[in-house]
Amino acid sequence: MSKPEEPILHIPQSVKEDTHGYRSQVKKFLDGQTSPVAFRAYRVPMGIYEQRAAGKFMVRIRIGAGLVLPHQLERIAHLSKTYGNGIVHVTTRQDIQIHEVDIEDSPDVLEGLLEAGLSSRGGGGNTVRNVTACPEAGVCPEEEFDVAPYAIAAAEYLLKDRSSFNLPRKYKIVFSGCSKDCAFASIADLGFFAHMKNEAKGFSVYAAGGLGSNPAVAAKIEDFIEAEEIFEVAEAVKKLFDKYGDRANKHKARLRYVLARVGIEKFIKLYRAERDILKTEGLPYTAPQICEITSIYKVPKTSITVRLRLKNGDIPADDLSKVGQIAAKYGQGLIRTTQLQDLLITGIVKEDNDKVHSELKKLSIDVFGDGSSKIVACAGASTCKLGLCLSRGLAEAISNKLSRTASSAGLSETTIRISGCPNSCGHHYIAAIGLQGKAKRVNGKLMPCYDVLVGAKTIEGDAHLGKRIGTVPAKKIPELLAEVFDAGEINEEKLKNRVGQYSDFSSEQFPDDYYYDFGSNEPFSLAGRGPGECGAGVTDVIKLDIDEAKDALKSAPTNSENIYKAVIAAARALMVTFGLEPKKDREIFAAFTRGLIEPGWVKPQTQQLLDDAIDWRMGDKESIEDLFPQAEDLTKRVEELYLSLDANLKFKIEPVAKKTNVDKEDADNHVIDLRGVGCPLNFVKAKLELEKLDTGAILGVLLDEGEPVRNVPASFAEQGQEVLEVKNSGDHFFVKVRRKK
Amino acid sequence: MSLTEKQIERYSRHIILEQVGGKGQEKLLRSKVLIIGAGGLGAPAGLYLAAAGVGTIGIVDCDKVDLTNLQRQIIHHTSDVGVEKIKSAENKMRAINPDITVQTYQTRVDAKNISDIIRKYDFVIDGTDNFPAKFLINDACYFEKIPFSHAGILRFHGQLITVLPGETTCYRCIFSAPPPANAVPSCSQAGVLGVLAGVIGSLQATEAIKYLLGLGKLLTGTLLTYDALEMNFRAVKLNRNPNCPLCGGKPKITELKDEEQVVCDLKNCKC
Repeated sequence: MSKPEEPILHIPQSVKEDTHGYRSQVKKFLDGQTSPVAFRAYRVPMGIYEQRAAGKFMVRIRIGAGLVLPHQLERIAHLSKTYGNGIVHVTTRQDIQIHEVDIEDSPDVLEGLLEAGLSSRGGGGNTVRNVTACPEAGVCPEEEFDVAPYAIAAAEYLLKDRSSFNLPRKYKIVFSGCSKDCAFASIADLGFFAHMKNEAKGFSVYAAGGLGSNPAVAAKIEDFIEAEEIFEVAEAVKKLFDKYGDRANKHKARLRYVLARVGIEKFIKLYRAERDILKTEGLPYTAPQICEITSIYKVPKTSITVRLRLKNGDIPADDLSKVGQIAAKYGQGLIRTTQLQDLLITGIVKEDNDKVHSELKKLSIDVFGDGSSKIVACAGASTCKLGLCLSRGLAEAISNKLSRTASSAGLSETTIRISGCPNSCGHHYIAAIGLQGKAKRVNGKLMPCYDVLVGAKTIEGDAHLGKRIGTVPAKKIPELLAEVFDAGEINEEKLKNRVGQYSDFSSEQFPDDYYYDFGSNEPFSLAGRGPGECGAGVTDVIKLDIDEAKDALKSAPTNSENIYKAVIAAARALMVTFGLEPKKDREIFAAFTRGLIEPGWVKPQTQQLLDDAIDWRMGDKESIEDLFPQAEDLTKRVEELYLSLDANLKFKIEPVAKKTNVDKEDADNHVIDLRGVGCPLNFVKAKLELEKLDTGAILGVLLDEGEPVRNVPASFAEQGQEVLEVKNSGDHFFVKVRRKK
Repeated sequence: MSLTEKQIERYSRHIILEQVGGKGQEKLLRSKVLIIGAGGLGAPAGLYLAAAGVGTIGIVDCDKVDLTNLQRQIIHHTSDVGVEKIKSAENKMRAINPDITVQTYQTRVDAKNISDIIRKYDFVIDGTDNFPAKFLINDACYFEKIPFSHAGILRFHGQLITVLPGETTCYRCIFSAPPPANAVPSCSQAGVLGVLAGVIGSLQATEAIKYLLGLGKLLTGTLLTYDALEMNFRAVKLNRNPNCPLCGGKPKITELKDEEQVVCDLKNCKC
C-alpha cells in the first residue's frame, strides 16, 4: 500500500544509517581530527563534491529513473534556499543538485533530504550511480513497456549492499524503453533495452560503454533476459567489475577498460562465470518487488507531456516548488528529470494544457524556449576544475546567433552538445553536433578552439560515437552552425566542407578577439590549472611545442637563433602539465629548472644548456652553435616525457635520477642526489644528510664529475668520515660515506 | 627543527665546519644572547651574532644615535642620528638576517631591572662604557648564573675576559669595586680608536658563539689585553680570588646594588 508521500525509490536502511553517521564525520573533520584527504574519501561517495569556489560544496541527489514527487521538490527547494544558493540544477544523468552548501551545513541537508525519502549516497565517487531510465517511461507511445519500475527496483537492490559504494570506479546503469535509446543505454556501463518475447517482458543487455577519455559504445552481453533477471545481471556485472577493474589507476578503471583489456569473448566468459556462481549461491540480497508506478501515479488515456526547457539545467528553487505543485494539480503527480537537463510534467489531460502553460508562464524563468536546438553544455572552465574552454559562454553565443537568424526551424530536436574539455561531461560524442573544447597555439598564442563531431547515433545495436571532422576557433562556431542550419537540416557534407575551410589556421591572420574565450576579459590561457586537472586537452599544445622545437633544429642554417628557438620551445612544452604558462624566456627556464631538472626528469646538465642559452640571448655569449647536440638531446627527452604522460598528466617513465636504484640499496637506502649542485653547497647538503644518520650508517651521494667528485669525498675524509667508495656511473659518480662520528 | 633550503645556503660556511655542522647551526638558531649597550662593542657583536644566526638577540640601550658615535659604532648609519640606538641596531640586524628575533630594551640597566632582563638569555655581552654598569652586570650574572663576556676599550687599548659565574674568575675577583671618581679617564675624555671597538666587540661575539656551541677553550681565568699601537696581545692569567666580595668564600655582596656613577657624563641621557 503506497501513500502519496511514500517515495518512488525506497532508500534502504543501510543508506539511512550511513547518512546519520555522516554528521559525526563532518564534526571530526571540522575539529581537525580527520585530514581533508581522509574526509574527502568519505564525503565524495556521499554525493558531496567540492566546487571551484573555495569552501563551497555541491550535493548531488539521486533521482531514480528521473522520477521525483512534488513534496520532494518542495524539500529540495527549501534546502537549496536555506543552505545553498537557491538555484537547483538538473544533470544529464537525471540527478538534481543543490549548489554552494557550506560543509558544516551538509549534514542538515542530507538529513533533510532523507526525511523526504531522498539521498545523495552514491551521487559521486566509485559507486553505483543514479540508475536512469527513459524520461518518458510509462507515457511514451513508442516504448515496449514502462522500464521505470525496473530501474527503481535495480537501484533499490544495489543500494542495499555497502559494497556498491566501494567499486573500482563509477558504475552507471541505464534502462531504455525501446531501441531509440532516449536514455543512452548504449553508452552505459550496464544498459538494458526493453523487449517483448512471447508476450513476456525482458531486456537485451549491453555492457562496458562510456564517454570521457577513450569513449566506447557498450557491447552486447545478452540477447534477451527475463525481466526478473535484471538483479542477477546487475550483480554479476558488478562482481566482474569489482574483481577485474583496475583499482590502481583511476583513469583506466572503468568497466570499458576491462573489456578493452580482455576482449569481448573473455569478457562474456567472465560475466557468465559470475552469473553461474550467483545461480548456485543465490543473490546476496533479496530482490525487491517491482511496483508498477502508473498504478499509483495514474495517466489518463489521452494525455500530453509538457517539457520545461531549463537553460544549463538550472531552475530557481521557488520555481521548482511551483513546478511540483503544477504537476500535482494537473499532471501525473510526479515530475521527471531528463537527460537533456529538462523537466517534464506528464499525464496532463488535453483540456488543462492552456492552464498548465499559463501557470508555467508565471515562473520567474522562461521554460518554453524559442524552438531552437537544445544545447547541452558542461559547466566549463568557469566553475569546473578540469575545464579548458568556457563551454557555457559558447552555448549562450550559439543560442543567440540561432535565435537571431531564426534559422533553426524544424531542428528543435537536434541537440548540440558541448564539452569544455575531452572529459566529455557535455556528452559531445553522442550529439547531432558535438563540440569539444581544446587549446591550439596559433601564431605563438593560445586560442580557444573546438573539435567538431558529427554522425553520432544511439540506437540499439547501431550506436556510433560522433566522428571528429575538424577543429574550428571557438569564435567561429556560432557562425558555422548558423550556416549549417540554413538548409533546414544538417547537411553533413556541407558541414564537413565548412569545417574544413575553417580549420585552416596557417594562412589566416586572426583578430585579437579570437584569442579570448566567450565571456572572458583575459587572453585565453591554461595557466593556473593544477597538475592532473587540465585533462588530455593540453596534450595537443605540448605536441605543438615539441614540433616547433624539432622544426627549429631541422631548419638551416644551424645557427644560434634556431638552437635558441628549439631550446625555448622544448623547455616550454611540458610546463602546462604543472599548470604553468610562463611567457618570458627567463620564466620558462626557471619553471623548467623547478619542474623538470630539480626532480630529476631531465639530466642536471641541462641547466648548463639553459644558462648558456640565456647568456647568448642577453649578449653575454657569442654563439651557442656548438650546443646543437644538447638541444637535440633536450628535445628528445621532452618528447619521451610527453609520450609517457598518463591521463592525469603524470610522467610514467623513470626519472633520469632513478637510474641508480642498485646503488640505493647498497647505501642502506640513504641516498642524496647532488648532481647539478655546485661546490661547496653539495658538500653542505651531503653533510647535513649524513648528520641525520646514526653513527655507522652509510650515505650514498650522487655527484657530478669534475670539481664535485674531487672535493666532496676529500672533505668528508678531512672531517673524519669514512669514504667507502667512489664509483663512476657513466656521466656521474656515486660516493658511499660511512658516518664515523 | 630542520634547516630550510635558504638556511642551508645562508649558513653553508658554518655547516661545512667540522665543529659546527647542521646540528651546531640549529643550536645557534635556538640560542639567545643579550647585548648590553648598543655602542662601540655592541655594534660588531650584534652584527656578527645576527649574521651567524643566533636565533634571539636582545639589545639594551637608552640612548639615541649621536653624530659622535658614528666613528666607531658601525651598526648605526648617518641617517640614524637622532634615532633610538636599539631601533637602529634592530633594523641593521634584521636586515642582515631576517631569520632572527631581536628583543629591544629601551632602558638603562640598574639593580631593579637587570635580573629580569638577563634571566631569559644563554649568554650576555657587556658592551657598556662605565664602571658601575660593568660591576652591576658582573654581579647580576653571578646571581643568575649566566655566563658573560666583559670588555673595555680606551685610547689604543682593549681588554676582555669571559666569566662563568661561580666557576671562573669574575670581574670583582680582579677589581673589588669601581675606581674613585675621575681616577680613570672616560671615553669621552680620553678618546678611542674606532676600530678597536671592532676588534674587541668581535672577540666578544666569538666567545659567545664558542660558548653556545661548546667549542674550544673559552677566555676564562685569563684577561686578554690588546695594544693596537704595539700590535700586541697578552693573555694575563688571573686566578679566582678567595676573598672576592662576590664569589669568594665569605661574600660581602649578597644582593644587587647600584654603584655610584663616577665617570661618565650622563646629563644627556633621558632614561
